[in-house]
Amino acid sequence: MDALQLSLAHPLRSFGLELELEVGAETLALVGPSGAGKTTVLRAVAGLLHPQRGRVAVNGRVWLDTERAIDVPPERRSVGLVFQEYALFPHMTVAQNVAYGGTARAAELLESLGLTALVRARPAELSGGERQRVALARALARDPAVLLLDEPLSALDAHTRAHVRAELREALGRLRLPTILVTHDFEDAAALGERIGVIVEGKIVQLGTAADLIALPVSPFVAEFAGLNFLRGVARARDDGLTEVVLEEGTRLLSTDPGSGPVGVVVYPWEVALALEAPVDSTQNHVRAPISTLVPVANRVRVRVGPLTAEITAASAERLGLEPGRTVVASFKATGTRLVELG
Amino acid sequence: MLAAAVGLLAASCGGSSGDSKLTVLAASSLTDVFGALAPDARLSFAGSDELATQIREGAQVDVYAAASPSYADELYAEGLIERPRVFATNRLVLVVPSDNPAGIEAIGDLHRPGVRLVVGAEGVPVGDYTRKALEQLGQTDVLSRVVSEEDDVKGVVSKVAFGEADAGFVYATDVKPAADDVRAIELPREAQTEVLYPIAVVVGTEHREEAERFIELVLGERGRAALRKAGFGVP
Amino acid sequence: MRRAFDLLLVVALAILLGFLLLPLLALFLRVSPGTLFAQLGSDVALDALWVTVKTGLIAHVLVVGLGTPAAYLLGTRQFRGRSFVLTAIELPLVLPPAVAGIALIAAFGRRGLLGGKLEAAGITISLTQAAVVLAVAFVASPFYLRQAIEAFASVDRALLDASRTLGSGPFRTFRRVALPLAAGGLGAGSVLAWARGTGEFGATIMFAGSLQGVTQTLPLAIYAQLDQDQTVAIAVGALLVLVSLAVLVSVKFLPSWTRFSSA
Repeated sequence: MDALQLSLAHPLRSFGLELELEVGAETLALVGPSGAGKTTVLRAVAGLLHPQRGRVAVNGRVWLDTERAIDVPPERRSVGLVFQEYALFPHMTVAQNVAYGGTARAAELLESLGLTALVRARPAELSGGERQRVALARALARDPAVLLLDEPLSALDAHTRAHVRAELREALGRLRLPTILVTHDFEDAAALGERIGVIVEGKIVQLGTAADLIALPVSPFVAEFAGLNFLRGVARARDDGLTEVVLEEGTRLLSTDPGSGPVGVVVYPWEVALALEAPVDSTQNHVRAPISTLVPVANRVRVRVGPLTAEITAASAERLGLEPGRTVVASFKATGTRLVELG
Repeated sequence: MLAAAVGLLAASCGGSSGDSKLTVLAASSLTDVFGALAPDARLSFAGSDELATQIREGAQVDVYAAASPSYADELYAEGLIERPRVFATNRLVLVVPSDNPAGIEAIGDLHRPGVRLVVGAEGVPVGDYTRKALEQLGQTDVLSRVVSEEDDVKGVVSKVAFGEADAGFVYATDVKPAADDVRAIELPREAQTEVLYPIAVVVGTEHREEAERFIELVLGERGRAALRKAGFGVP
Repeated sequence: MRRAFDLLLVVALAILLGFLLLPLLALFLRVSPGTLFAQLGSDVALDALWVTVKTGLIAHVLVVGLGTPAAYLLGTRQFRGRSFVLTAIELPLVLPPAVAGIALIAAFGRRGLLGGKLEAAGITISLTQAAVVLAVAFVASPFYLRQAIEAFASVDRALLDASRTLGSGPFRTFRRVALPLAAGGLGAGSVLAWARGTGEFGATIMFAGSLQGVTQTLPLAIYAQLDQDQTVAIAVGALLVLVSLAVLVSVKFLPSWTRFSSA
């Protein structure tokens, strides 16, 4: 029963943290805006914070139970915590850092994480990626029952990130430990986490795989977080089975999803087509607006047109001669206009 | 800002030149008497030996009044002060805290083990007088009970007044100001040594008239009355 | 324009350096080295040295021994009344030494708040060597505490947390992480406290009195000898400077890892 069970309730600055999670031999990515309570969750599991109410149990062993006044101190819990800025001991070498919690697995980890050449170096002499590996090795040296990672990639520059992310993904895959990983980046969450939990203002608003989140985001935050278009409007069923949605600024859209009352409209950027003139097609929704930004991403371009973001191939963008200020028409099918009930 | 600091520093030193205040260096035991006789003068009180050092170092002062002739005679021989004249006498007494925790009634009682005695240090007038008195009484081994040797008679008085010392040797004139906290025990006549207070004008004074006026005041009727009132003897 | 500014900086430094070093130099040049050495061997000087070193060491052990854990608490935890405590421990700093002396008498003297009770049990503190230790510790402790608190506070909290998650309890975390990283600041505080304590005069002379070989420290000896034998006074003064120099230099040899605070 390789499971971490946790339930927490704790007041934060302007709202209360309240959630329940069960993490098996998997990596759960906790995402959310800063201040949402993600780090609080990690600290509570590690024992660095005593929540107002809560219970934390790992493999059947209870680490925290506020109702029964059980609170095992951090040094007696079996956690490995990788801090956001790594918190490596500056006055110790890499070898001493890794062996700090105990020498049992130190040598093995130094080797498996490729640190043998650096054992006598001081943290100040290491690169960001190297520090991350040392922090990970150090956290794992005690053979923890639970692994906690606080924004493991945010201290790295863009260039190192992708590389380290791949390494981390591989390491986590090998370890098969209940792992909670906190991040504010959807791509990192999707790459590293088998499941993603979205926390907004202290509560989990959605828990599922990356695909689940993209397919059916339940809240504006989840949608925005996943890089999807999210518009707000009021829906009304039509006689022909379609649903009409009137957006805030007046545009009318048609959707094949049912809905009524206040709704969120989710449109995938890659399902939005751009043209200089509106195509004649009544099953499509059209939004005519000037282009505000053009952002290249790999071999595609994300184009912001009015309230929508479209993602098209770089070739198409060039063919259309797109540039900021140019008025274009963004089109998307009624079947690609997904509705999420709000309110 | 730097200029202001330097200016202030310059203004605060060498104050006597161009300044009409009389500066008197006097032994500590004269604090109250001189304070009353010359409230407008700049009075500096300390052990007579310390004041002598200041004059040797060239302090710009006008009058020197000591608790012992030895320092005055030295300074006179060195040509640093004019001929000193005795203006008061004092006598040595033994004081104990008013509650007398060690039950001291006579010098002999000071021999008791555990008695905490405070005296002036050697070289300080009251210290020298104390040793002389004990010699004359043949009681010098009482000095083995000394727990502190003060540089100033005020130090002796305060330690007895606070109750930290069981007894101390001070001047008779020190008893009155501390009357609430100490009790005096007179010494036998054989022990009494002459405590003479000389006063003189300091050579190089820039306030000769005021200096001489002050000395006349001290030697005159008003001065003698004030001294007697404070417990001094007058010649 | 830039050259003129640089010149101004150098001149300011030169004046300041001269001002600080001249009195020290003059002290050593006032008497011939031969006389100086002869006087350094005099009873007065050696006794004073012994009293200063012995009482200074004991006071220092007290200040560092009690001050370090206290500073750790104040530097790493928040609690109600913390700022009040911080102000309270700085009080001896603003107290004139004579007032400190009276305060010590009021507390530990024979009729003092605590001293009275001790007196009844047959223990007297005032006018003994123990009084010197207390006086020195009293005036020197804020100097150590301030630096120590700052040193512990500047240790990255994440490092202490990391240590806990790696299996080290509060004491081991203090010993293995906090102490080494704060050592630089603790050393600096130690020097300041030592300097202040060694030079202590006002409170000592009031509370402990002055007796050669028992309570007469180097500063007290200088003062006592000043009007008696100037050469001895100067010799003792020179001795005090040398002792202080020795302490300053020895601190420079603290291990180099004390220069870190976080990575």
